[in-house]
Amino acid sequence: MKPLDPRLVRRIGPARRHILVTAGLGFVTALLILVQALVIARLLAPILSPAPLADDGLHWWGRIVPEGARTPATGLAVLAAVVLARTAVAWLQERLAHRAGVRVISQLREMVVDHVATRGPRWAAGGRTAEVATLVTRGLDDLLPYFVRYLPQLALAVTVTPVMLVVVLGLDWLSAVIVIVTLPLVPVFMILVGLVTQERSARHLEAMQRLGARTLDLIEGLPTLKALGRERGPAARVRELGDAQRRATMGSLRVAFLSGMVLELLTTLSVAIVAVTMGFRLIAGEIGIETALAVLVLAPEVYLPLRNVGTHFHASADGLAAADAAFTLLDEEDPARARTPLGQAPDLRGAPLTVTGLAVATPDGTRLAPGPLTFTAAPGAITALRGPNGEGKSTALLALTGLLAPDAGTVAVGGAPVLRDDAAVDEPSWLAQVAWVPQRPDLGPAGRTLSLGQRQRRALARAFESGRPLVLLDEPTSHLDRASRGEVIARMRDLAAAGATVVVATHEAEVLEAADAVVEVTAARVEVAS
Amino acid sequence: MSRRDASDLALLREAIRDTGVSRWAITRAILAGTMALGSAVGLAAVAAWLIAKAAQMPSPADVALAATVVRFFGISRGLFRYLERLASHDAALRGVVTLRERAYDRLARSGAGTVLGLRRGDIVARMGADLDAIGDAVVRAIIPLGVAATVSAISVGIVALLLPVAGLALGVCLVLAGVVPAVLTARAARIAAVAGAKAHAEVSAAALSAMDGATEHRVWGTLDDAAEALRGADRDAEHAHELAARPAAWAAGFQALFSGVALVALVALGVLAVRSGDLDGPSAAVVALLPLAAFEAVGAVPAAIMQYFRSAAAARRLAELVDGPGAGDATVPREAPAASSLALDALSVAWPGMTPTPPVSARVEPGQVLAVVGRSGVGKTTLLTTIAGALPPAAGAVTLDGEPSSPADTGTVVAMTAEDAHIFGTTVLENLRVARGDVSEEQAWEALALVGLDGWVRGLPEGLDTELGAGGRSVSGGERRRLLLARAGLAPAPVALVDEPAEHLDDAGADALRAFVSRMRAEGRTVVLVTHDLSILDLADAVVSLDD
Repeated sequence: MKPLDPRLVRRIGPARRHILVTAGLGFVTALLILVQALVIARLLAPILSPAPLADDGLHWWGRIVPEGARTPATGLAVLAAVVLARTAVAWLQERLAHRAGVRVISQLREMVVDHVATRGPRWAAGGRTAEVATLVTRGLDDLLPYFVRYLPQLALAVTVTPVMLVVVLGLDWLSAVIVIVTLPLVPVFMILVGLVTQERSARHLEAMQRLGARTLDLIEGLPTLKALGRERGPAARVRELGDAQRRATMGSLRVAFLSGMVLELLTTLSVAIVAVTMGFRLIAGEIGIETALAVLVLAPEVYLPLRNVGTHFHASADGLAAADAAFTLLDEEDPARARTPLGQAPDLRGAPLTVTGLAVATPDGTRLAPGPLTFTAAPGAITALRGPNGEGKSTALLALTGLLAPDAGTVAVGGAPVLRDDAAVDEPSWLAQVAWVPQRPDLGPAGRTLSLGQRQRRALARAFESGRPLVLLDEPTSHLDRASRGEVIARMRDLAAAGATVVVATHEAEVLEAADAVVEVTAARVEVAS
Repeated sequence: MSRRDASDLALLREAIRDTGVSRWAITRAILAGTMALGSAVGLAAVAAWLIAKAAQMPSPADVALAATVVRFFGISRGLFRYLERLASHDAALRGVVTLRERAYDRLARSGAGTVLGLRRGDIVARMGADLDAIGDAVVRAIIPLGVAATVSAISVGIVALLLPVAGLALGVCLVLAGVVPAVLTARAARIAAVAGAKAHAEVSAAALSAMDGATEHRVWGTLDDAAEALRGADRDAEHAHELAARPAAWAAGFQALFSGVALVALVALGVLAVRSGDLDGPSAAVVALLPLAAFEAVGAVPAAIMQYFRSAAAARRLAELVDGPGAGDATVPREAPAASSLALDALSVAWPGMTPTPPVSARVEPGQVLAVVGRSGVGKTTLLTTIAGALPPAAGAVTLDGEPSSPADTGTVVAMTAEDAHIFGTTVLENLRVARGDVSEEQAWEALALVGLDGWVRGLPEGLDTELGAGGRSVSGGERRRLLLARAGLAPAPVALVDEPAEHLDDAGADALRAFVSRMRAEGRTVVLVTHDLSILDLADAVVSLDD
């Protein structure tokens, strides 16, 4: 997996800005670490050198921290200033990372939700809504540790590490060679360890997942076992499975932690080798104490960001996986067929609505629900759609809203076709004349605190008061008590009397009695062409 | 057992005790971690001494030992870190296994009302992710905090031996660098838990509403309002996150500050001590450079505190599941009679806080069938749960053989097959043995033949031994219903409750139900059936309707 998703940079403004800011802060940090190391060398060299210091041990880099810093007062003042600056950068980095992280998450969430909201009911019926809901409510939150923990370390790895390498090279070429030789060994060894252990860890991982699934299966089934009086036995089985899973997990961890060990081993050992080598060269007089001190302090800083990137690798993987899921969804082609425009919708008032051969395939493609459906809904009358659950009553109403393109059939107003599988009138001008109340009305976040019955009453009131000429009601009385049911039926009658075309999907006797016409809705099997 | 008032800390401590993780296992991991980070401190100290000593140009033999020690620390850090990670994960995994077994057992023994009222998603999340989060408290909170304490003590000890006043300065800075960020992080975690959780819930509601209600929003032209509502909720959540991020940023700043202050102080003290002749050069180098390595261990404190809060929240959720209402009312299962009559006397049922159903009365003798009808959502499943004894009646009474039903009857006198009863990820035979452990292969085939599934099972690759469900062969809706019926028929309880799903039953399903009912009748067992198939009602001796 790439450490940085290019789509985040290209398409999410706050992410792009934050990555630039983080890189900038990385350079500032690199500079501060450099100054800190040079000042420490300046301050300690005079007290450790047996003879007064003649040369400038910092060579070209002495221009950044002049020899004046060898006096304790000056040197300590610079060091204190560096400390305060590093404090400020640490504070700022954390603050900005949190802010950018939540902004990016919000923006991605809004993009995904907007995208899904315009996908239409056919997409929703495809069964991916739960997955998308998990992504927008929880999954994207994994991007926060990515922004707060991983990105800053990544920025340091591409700023501090090369800067320090150049400085060490300028101070003491032999130490720089040791570092330059060991640095590439880190990825090489990690890849080697990965290759050698790949098969083993895949085997363990599979065993872990299998055992984990079995344990969850027993846990999920606990209510079933209790209902049959058989709940006492499986605790021991939960233990056995757990122990087997633990052994498999430890087997895979023993392998997985090896690459971490290689990383730590190489980075720490090379620092040790740099120190020991400089020790013997100091004795031989080949290198000055001031130079040696600066290199000693800088050498671990070359490796530190690399180590931290390794530590936060998992945070990065989860966050990037969530971002990838979001972008993949956003880039999906809209499966809805383009429908030929039929111009502005005709006025529905007073015109009969004719449905001919309307059919919609179920998501699995095995049935048509409704099967070919033909009826005429007269203005000023209630037309009831009747039939068992799953035969396509709700889908027929959805097709009448125009938001679900049928697979076959025509809807016409006063003889003029308005909706077909491949053509439709202008959507806003059609929808402005349609009132629709689904089985479980949503009414927005505020509506979620209401009971289903309350929501249904409010949604019905909105439809009744809208004055729209075509009123589509899906099981309008299902969550209501007897008194409210009577009231709803009376309101439906009033609407019809006022000239509206009322189409209602129902299987309640009272509603059927109040209807002027009853249409049977039945599904049909899709004939498989042999 | 009333643990609902206990603090999260107490609940986490109790949960960790329940993991049975030994002190020795934790000590061993802390020791390895101390050796790992102690190696880093040791490397910094000995390397500083080596360089400073070498500057005095002694004979190479004088620094030979130091050079060896430096190389040793260069290797030991990675090695001990590896051992620490293995030790800590092993301890935590063992603890989680023990805790899961105990929690499962406690839950299995708790009241039938608790268990049957569980939502599938809840139980999986609590026993899965939340238990793992409690284990994480060992790996990511207890052990890093222990290591931070020991490594800091070692660093202070080294410096104090050389220059006591410098040791004191380092000690004060280390304590401040650990404690102040810990307090700030705890504050951030508390704000996030309250304001953040509320804002997050509102974002979720707005996002789900915008997606689930999308068609409605398009019809009514409120799509933009829904998007605006989500943007508003997102802004509120960002603000709540800001509130929590502020102390977290200060925690990061203070860590940098205190380690920097220690560096300045110890460099100053080292330089002054050499000038006044109190300290030789190499020792001063150790004092001055040690702070660069000593603060790595306390750097882990904020993450450990965050983990502690996550684990404590998980411990509370687990405690609420395992010790929820109805826990502790575990009862000794009743000895089942061979047959039992069933009477509903003006029975009205409801889960706590819900509207009770209209009262119904009926009486069926052994060998008779009671059918329950009603609209979806009216409370038919709740009625079955009450008849099973798992839920006390809201009003009226259920009597089994003249005795009021109780949780002791669930599964013994009354066996219930819920609408969403579980098919386990095991063989066909084992799935039938869920009803009764000693079902023979012959009896299994007979039960399958009754519901017309024998042909289907014969067609499976390994017949009765074919694995089903998760990880095995998938089962269609119709096959699932009939398999559950076969299982219900094998349960030995004298009263069988069967909850048929609301969807339209196919012909094979209706035949299976009819065969099941006549078999139960022949065996003298009492059957309560929730159904939508009106043709089945002809088989019933009594019918109750929950519609008003």
